[in-house]
Amino acid sequence: MSEPRTPSSGDRSGADTGLLVDEQAVPGAGAGPAESDAVAHAAAPGHGTDGAVDLRQASLWSDAWRQLRRNRLFLLASALLAVLAVMAAFPQLFTSQGPIENCSLGQSKVGPSGDAWFGYDIFGCDYYTNVIYGARVSMIIGLVVMGGAMVIGVALGAIAGYFGGWFDVLVARVTDIVYGLPLILGAILILNSFTNRGLPEVALALIALSWMTFLRLFRSSVVAIKDSDYVAAARSMGARDSRIILKHILPNAIAPVLVYATIFVGGIIAAEATLSFLGIGLQLPAISWGLQINSGQRLLRTAPHIILFPSLFLSVTVLSFILLGDALRDALDPKLR
Amino acid sequence: MTSTLTSPEVSGGPAGPALLEVDDLHVEFRTDYGVVQAVNGISYSLRSGETLAILGESGCGKSVSAQTIMGILDSPPGFVTGGEIRYKGRDLLTMSAKEQRDIRGEQISIVFQDALSSLNPVFSVGMQIGEMFRRHRGSSRSDAKKAAVELMDRVRIPSARERVNDYPHQFSGGMRQRVMIAMAIALDPAILIADEPTTALDVTVQAQIMDLLGELQRETGMGLILITHDLAVVGEIADRIAVMYAGRIVETGATDAVFGAPAMPYTEGLMASIARVDQKGQRLNPIVGAPPNLAQLPDGCPFHPRCPRATERCPTELPLLREVVPGRRSACHYAEEVLGV
Amino acid sequence: MARYIARRLLLAIPVLIGASFLIFSMVFALPGDPIRALGGDRPISEAVQAQLRAEYNLDDPLLVQYGKYVGGLAQGDLGTDFAGRPVSDILGRTVPVTVKLALVALAFEAVIGLLAGVLAGIRQKSFFDSLVLVTTTLIVSIPVFVLGFLAQYVLGLRLGIFPIAGVANGFSGYLLPGFVLAALSLAYVARLTRTSLVENLRNDYVRTAKAKGLTPASVVGKHTLRNSLIPVVTFLGADLGALLSGAVVTEGIFNIPGLGRAVFQAIQSQEGNVVVGIVTLFVFVYILFNLLVDVMYAALDPRIRYE
Repeated sequence: MSEPRTPSSGDRSGADTGLLVDEQAVPGAGAGPAESDAVAHAAAPGHGTDGAVDLRQASLWSDAWRQLRRNRLFLLASALLAVLAVMAAFPQLFTSQGPIENCSLGQSKVGPSGDAWFGYDIFGCDYYTNVIYGARVSMIIGLVVMGGAMVIGVALGAIAGYFGGWFDVLVARVTDIVYGLPLILGAILILNSFTNRGLPEVALALIALSWMTFLRLFRSSVVAIKDSDYVAAARSMGARDSRIILKHILPNAIAPVLVYATIFVGGIIAAEATLSFLGIGLQLPAISWGLQINSGQRLLRTAPHIILFPSLFLSVTVLSFILLGDALRDALDPKLR
Repeated sequence: MTSTLTSPEVSGGPAGPALLEVDDLHVEFRTDYGVVQAVNGISYSLRSGETLAILGESGCGKSVSAQTIMGILDSPPGFVTGGEIRYKGRDLLTMSAKEQRDIRGEQISIVFQDALSSLNPVFSVGMQIGEMFRRHRGSSRSDAKKAAVELMDRVRIPSARERVNDYPHQFSGGMRQRVMIAMAIALDPAILIADEPTTALDVTVQAQIMDLLGELQRETGMGLILITHDLAVVGEIADRIAVMYAGRIVETGATDAVFGAPAMPYTEGLMASIARVDQKGQRLNPIVGAPPNLAQLPDGCPFHPRCPRATERCPTELPLLREVVPGRRSACHYAEEVLGV
Repeated sequence: MARYIARRLLLAIPVLIGASFLIFSMVFALPGDPIRALGGDRPISEAVQAQLRAEYNLDDPLLVQYGKYVGGLAQGDLGTDFAGRPVSDILGRTVPVTVKLALVALAFEAVIGLLAGVLAGIRQKSFFDSLVLVTTTLIVSIPVFVLGFLAQYVLGLRLGIFPIAGVANGFSGYLLPGFVLAALSLAYVARLTRTSLVENLRNDYVRTAKAKGLTPASVVGKHTLRNSLIPVVTFLGADLGALLSGAVVTEGIFNIPGLGRAVFQAIQSQEGNVVVGIVTLFVFVYILFNLLVDVMYAALDPRIRYE
């Protein structure tokens, strides 16, 4: 488990391995050119001409936050996600009806108009309402799976990385094996065994297949940091293992995990949609963008709006997470200073 | 002030026409933090067979000037804003890109500080050395390889024939530096620039590398520009010294002369700060203060905030590099006092 | 180098075994009765159910089932589906189709992705670079099936350039689905190549190459490219798994009779043997491909060979 492979396995429904290339897979990318020290000197904060050095401590996080605030894509993505989050939590703010109110088969598949901005779905229900309500499922699944996979991955990664030994080797083998199974295929297999498929089942299946990358990322950070000088210094001053892990290793090792987590949510949302689209994820009468797109499959010619609107929302959601993750990565990567 | 240190009585080394003349060079870096004047009007020259040491602290602009001579300055953010660099009479800065490329490596070459990062990790050392021949002489692959083995022998890498196919990471630091030197002298360049060649090495290995450089220079008669902040290294091998501070040359002269009797307070401070065996038990004498921020240079003499001899004249009036006595130049208003004449 | 290969091979074996057992248990050990599912709404008599169970070893403990399965494998017998058709037949029919699809996708991915990535990398911050970045971000955000419909609609229905479904009309039927399948990977390859190139161009050895008087083409093409390709190569290995997953969706949308569609139908009808056969094949190919990628990686980066 030593070679720097790109992390994620066959999970490509949005989880962009390419964006994480710095973390794992660019050997030969050494420190930047030995550029003029003159520039480095001039750029060091607070280097006054009288020789006094500014004592303002710039930590990684406050620096990152300052950079993020100025990043327009970050602001855009955050704004979009905020809207989506509100949409998920309080759909009533966006639409006055319920998703299955006022449905009448006579309006089935009718296109958009002044009364119904998104038209009507195959059951004759107001599509706009349904698409809005679809946000809830996506956001919940995204966050739950991210949370679950991250907790498992980070916990196991911390122990494996810090203590090493047989546990590390065992975890490495298990990771390799589970990695062999691409996400969608594996999820199909797992979900097939449930007769009732709701959010918990789908979430479980996805968590079971995605904790590995979190583990690898965190573990490699832990291994790198635990051998570093400042940890050695802490240890020589008598700090206990737990204190070392919490105070020194965790804050620094968590950065790449957070970047990946953000992009990962987008991927999970797309994965859920894919599974629901295939019919192996959520089932009717659940409201999910994937199911909605599924219902519009054969209607491409006659009622394209059925595929169009949930696809739009889905893509924008995934896009926002990716942009967020990109911005976070740029802000947290010290090499890009 | 343009100056050509070509007359025999001025140079302390072998007489002859100037091979390289840097004339009032200005280089600036345009960064998000502002414009940084990395090189602020420096002039020096080099003749064949001569070793010129450019001495200064990190950040004084010595590497930048070397990279500018080689034409490998990262631009952006670096820009040459004035001056000329004349090689055998022709200005390198105005030559076409192709002409510059032809000169690079073949007539003027450079050895960098960190051989591990400066060598391509995925190609064998033999290939990287041989590349010089393939590129500039059109040699075949096998001829180039033979030449590479010869060069590796010449720089005293043991078992050259067996090691020619090895990769950089398989060599020790000192050996890697020899590989870099081999690459640099492959085509018998007229000028070799060594940018802090020993800074990353152990002391014993340092001595070996410096000996090697000296020997190669005597064999080939090439000009050697040695860029360093290490006074000991300078004393060993340099004929002449140019001391740099804050992007300017502040003193020049023959090595022994400058070491024995500096003509500028900064040089004085440098000499005094060396830890000497006969001063065991005494406190070290650093130069107080810190190097200036090149984005915000003070008016007047850049050294004045740290200078023990500064007067009211210093913060307002920039001292120009001028001849104090024949063969010695200094950029200090009180150079005569410092020198003691 | 040989030792490196041997070591990777040795490591791959337990992974193969582990993965195959994992798949097997997921299919046969999880709740859900295949026999009853096979019948669907038709009631199958107890006697027939019992007979089918015995025939397919469904009453044996899991390990024994697995053991018998592996035993059969050793003799080249992948079992049959519940209608008696040999799984190997199904594979024989569908594998060539999916292989063709995957090759088309791989070709698109490698050629367009690498080209775009290299051009964007050497012309950083140019219009082309921004275009590549924006396009790839968009592609990456749009799930495969949406992309599929989009392509089908725009390129197939509206513009009529490509056939929209099936491969009955020969090779042209593979182009659109192949492109859709490749689209996502293409985006990753382009970005990865670009980022890798940009990172490597900042390295000291690039400066050395310039200082040797090498032409820009040589500096980038020879020195930097090889270093930059290393992460791309490793990515391609991981990507195969995604291509396989994506094939399930793509073959569904474009109605292509390949492995993807077959496995999906098999899962729906709970044809355990078929599912295990196909998915295990997928996983084996994936693991072997990654092994190949490891070897290529070592060929490109000599530092790895001595780990």
